[in-house]
Amino acid sequence: MSDPVDNNALIALEAVSRSFGAIRAVDEVSFELRPGEIHALCGHNGAGKSTVVKMITGLVQPDGGTVRVGGEASRIRSPQDAQELGIAFVDQELSVIPILSVANNIQLGGVSEPFFNRPRRTRARVRELLDLVGLSDLDPAEPVAGLSMGRRQLVEIARALGRNAKVLVLDEPTATLSSAEIEHVFSAVRRVAATGCGVIFVSHRLDEVLQLCDRVTVLRDGKRVDTAETSALDVDRLVSMMLGDVPPEPAPTLPQEGRKSETVVRVTDLSVGDRTSGFSLEARHGHVYALAGQVGSGATEILRAIAGLEPSAVGSVEIEGRQLTLGSPERAEAGGVSYVSNDRKGDGLFLGLSARDNLVSTRLRKLSRGPVLDMASLREAAKGLADTIGLAPGRLPEPAENFSGGNQQKIFIGRTLERPETRVLLLDEPTRGVDVKGRIEIHGLVRGAAREGTTVIFASTEIDEILDLADDIVTMRAGRVVGRHSRSEVDAELLLAEMTHGRAERAAA
Amino acid sequence: MNPAAIKRFLAGGAPFFIFGMVLLAFLLVPFYSTEQISDFNAFNSLQSASSVGLLALAIGLSMIAGEFDLSTVGMYALGGMLAVKLGADSPLLGVAAAMGAGVVVGAIQGGIIAKLGISSVPVTLGGYIALLGLTSVISSGESVAYENFDVGISLDQQTLTFFSPRSLIMIGAFVLVAVLIRWTRIGRDLRAVGGDRRAARAAGVRTDRILVGTFIATAVISALAGALLSYSIATAKPDPGGAPLVFAVTAALLGGVTLAGGKGTAAGILAGALSLSLLQEIFVIVATPDYVSDLVLGGLLIIVVAFDAPRLKSRMIAMRSRAASRRMAQVAMKELKQE
Amino acid sequence: MSGAAVGAPEQAAASRSARKVILLVLQGLVALAGLVILVGAITTQGFFSVDNLKAILASVGFVGMVAVGMTVIMISGSFVSMSLGTQAAVSAIFFVWALKFGVAPAIAMTIAFGLIIGSIQGYAIGAFGANPIVLTIAVVAVLEGMVVVFSSGGTQTPPNGAYEFLNDTILGLPMSFYVMLGVVAVAELIMRRTTFGRQVYMVGDNPLAAFVAGLPMGKIGAGVFGLAGVASAVAGIMLGAYNQGASLLLTGSLTYDAIAATLVGGTLVSGGKGSVWKTLVGALVIATITDLLLLRGYSTGVQIMVKGLLVVVVVIVVHLRSQGTRS
Repeated sequence: MSDPVDNNALIALEAVSRSFGAIRAVDEVSFELRPGEIHALCGHNGAGKSTVVKMITGLVQPDGGTVRVGGEASRIRSPQDAQELGIAFVDQELSVIPILSVANNIQLGGVSEPFFNRPRRTRARVRELLDLVGLSDLDPAEPVAGLSMGRRQLVEIARALGRNAKVLVLDEPTATLSSAEIEHVFSAVRRVAATGCGVIFVSHRLDEVLQLCDRVTVLRDGKRVDTAETSALDVDRLVSMMLGDVPPEPAPTLPQEGRKSETVVRVTDLSVGDRTSGFSLEARHGHVYALAGQVGSGATEILRAIAGLEPSAVGSVEIEGRQLTLGSPERAEAGGVSYVSNDRKGDGLFLGLSARDNLVSTRLRKLSRGPVLDMASLREAAKGLADTIGLAPGRLPEPAENFSGGNQQKIFIGRTLERPETRVLLLDEPTRGVDVKGRIEIHGLVRGAAREGTTVIFASTEIDEILDLADDIVTMRAGRVVGRHSRSEVDAELLLAEMTHGRAERAAA
Repeated sequence: MNPAAIKRFLAGGAPFFIFGMVLLAFLLVPFYSTEQISDFNAFNSLQSASSVGLLALAIGLSMIAGEFDLSTVGMYALGGMLAVKLGADSPLLGVAAAMGAGVVVGAIQGGIIAKLGISSVPVTLGGYIALLGLTSVISSGESVAYENFDVGISLDQQTLTFFSPRSLIMIGAFVLVAVLIRWTRIGRDLRAVGGDRRAARAAGVRTDRILVGTFIATAVISALAGALLSYSIATAKPDPGGAPLVFAVTAALLGGVTLAGGKGTAAGILAGALSLSLLQEIFVIVATPDYVSDLVLGGLLIIVVAFDAPRLKSRMIAMRSRAASRRMAQVAMKELKQE
Repeated sequence: MSGAAVGAPEQAAASRSARKVILLVLQGLVALAGLVILVGAITTQGFFSVDNLKAILASVGFVGMVAVGMTVIMISGSFVSMSLGTQAAVSAIFFVWALKFGVAPAIAMTIAFGLIIGSIQGYAIGAFGANPIVLTIAVVAVLEGMVVVFSSGGTQTPPNGAYEFLNDTILGLPMSFYVMLGVVAVAELIMRRTTFGRQVYMVGDNPLAAFVAGLPMGKIGAGVFGLAGVASAVAGIMLGAYNQGASLLLTGSLTYDAIAATLVGGTLVSGGKGSVWKTLVGALVIATITDLLLLRGYSTGVQIMVKGLLVVVVVIVVHLRSQGTRS
């Protein structure tokens, strides 16, 4: 099953483990990168990929097992350590500084950069690196702010290449790139590997993995499933390795009795800058719609645009026949949109305020007589919501930051429930960072809301979740819609296939 | 040069454009008023820019790093007082003492801000109050006279028509900072820390060192400014009041520094400071009352702040997008009608 | 400012254990200082006399009122307004001028004046995200300029008589003390018991989340700074009555004292937590220490310096403690 550990390995993880609280994110995973190899790391969400990557790049320490760099047992305690050990990392979350120029971003933070600027040498080096990633037509003095996400990614890759690393780690590098840009990245990666460096390529895009990489390691539920030569694999085999034993399909949600079929939300030709374009959807009363797509598919941007958070959104959104003014969350809320973002800690919850305050935060006007709050109604409403979401009422006075991820998410969603003013409920990654039990509870809440007649549109990268929750599924890739299905028409393989290498829906003629 | 580069060049030139306008207004004074201008007026405005200009450089540096050093005016006062008290025999010793105190104060504040992750505003506000208090303690609450008049006289000697050793020192400080920012990696790292601290740290920049270094620089520069001023007027005052802060912040913002961080150049700040002091000189020549000067300066700052406000920009973008959406809808309606 | 001007920056570099040590040391120092103050108080002649204690309470009046406004602003996440002290002085000038219409109209007009000036600033800060510190610094300059335009800078003197009741003493304490208590109580009521108050805490706790949730940021900002404007206006009315005249000199160190009181009272710099009562305690602590230093013959300089150091220490302690509770 596993290949013998190569003692020439550039970097090797020997049975490493890592837990976060009760969750065992990585469970005795072994992995090694040979010189000159392009090695893919694949796995569905929650499989442990990002934790493994963090261990290699110094952001997280393993609880158990050994990490070896160049054969020596090493402790990679910080990104600085990683850099010094010759490990270069290009994260999904870009770390380019928009204000700075391309050239400055490429030089930024390199430990071997000279103190005094050497413009001529720098110009030549920057040119070389830009050529390597296919950005030869770029003006190095241009601020990164003006570049598309795809080009920013390439700049960051150029920076990593410029650090003369022996190990290059790329996390979802092609999520936001055009096909031409992807080709450039591939050539750059091949050139780098040819010099003897090793490349770790973390990606959901299985066709690219098979095209570019020599070997692939598949993780599932924190464990290593297998490491194999890509020449011996095809997409279907990879998919089944990632999904494991496919559990019996849960019965598709049958159409509810008494669900009206009128359109509540009509989205026409919604585009957000260059990140998504031409999105259309007719969402009906009491139905649950899934926007299924991986990182960079544009699903998040669509939800944000409807919620009024994208000033550059262009298009039309109608709620119950009324045109929604875009670009203002205040207007969206007034128009009946309730939005649950994918970042409950960043822009969702009020962590310092109590669970009670969070739950009632969206209905204060109804709980007050004139300007003054009716404390009794407030407490009652909070208790009612706590019951609905399954939160111990005794915990209502505690600050939201004290609760587990799952409970926090329930509070976040709870504040949108049982509100007649809500016409459409938008959820971005409704169970991100939530354990299995919480996931079941949250899915129950969402279906409950739909049963009450709320139109629900959610975005998710989790196939299980999409299959469990949705009545209708819209698959997206690279900013465009690639497929529309009702739940009964699809299964996991079809979904994953469309999400990872589907073709764009042709715009209506 | 490609059009984008030209556009960037022009945008970066805004502070100099502003200075040009003010200079023009200055040169045209004889035409719209009954007063004349002379070399002395130019000299005078450079003189008044000498100390507050350095203060603008200090505050501007902290803003480029994404912070805001309110204690600069406090260091300004303390520097002046130390220079006068300890520099009776040797002015150089006085200046060194002032700048040395700056290093200590800057290191402490920078350390607290960088290592404990506390916002610079409350820390430097407390620092401001404490420094003013310390200055008052050293001076027993009164203005202290500096006996060594010669120092002031030689500092303010008119040289090269418009300049004096004091204004040349100011310009020298600006040049030094400009060189450090433009020709060493410090400039890049400073802007990175100011532009996006998280990304800078992720990219490998030593953000803590940059922050501590920045606050040391701001304190030292402010101390120098205060010392020079005290020697020049041969007095050290325990409380400089609120005007220097308004001037310094306005000059920095006019000079292209943004409140968000990451943008701005030393040359721009110098241009901003010179614009303001020249403007003030025009007011003096034309004999406008003080309050007009206050109103103009305050009003100017409000306008600059409004332009710098983040959500204002996104609101404008949203308005444009809505217009585009409306146009799209109209086109779609027309097409529908044609079918 | 990368989120750093208003609110804490990300990810401190000092390790957890280092921060715990620093926190312990500082708390130890604070305890020690408290002990020193207590000993000082006991050994100082006349500190515990009724007159002295009354003087301390009396001195808290004006600062307390302005600090109420400063506290609400800090809770809302806008950190501070540098113009509240000036607004108090300008309100005093306005009040003295308006007395020619009678006492009650003058009071009403002044309060309206304070509300308007505050709301305009607050709307710009809430709706556009204008930087509150810089904006209010500019407002100070503009207000000072406008005062000179309208009153040529001199001291305004009021027409005789009717306002004198504002200077009465009840139970030996000046009216300003009771008015201050009233302002504190009303503000606390607003913050705890109204929709607006809840919204202010939300905005302060997480302004992005508040924005995303569709809260009316402009209106809330206007309300916060408007409330502060009213509190400053009331302070101005009492100041004008007390000084029997008004000029810009009344600003004094009101703004910085109010900030110090708010910070020493433990209101979190990053917003979302705090209460007006705690600020009152902060004001009392500062007044007590200042009084003690005064009685022992220390100069104003020392008093100011101690105030500044106290602010820095408390800010650090409060920050470290709030970090400790967050996982």
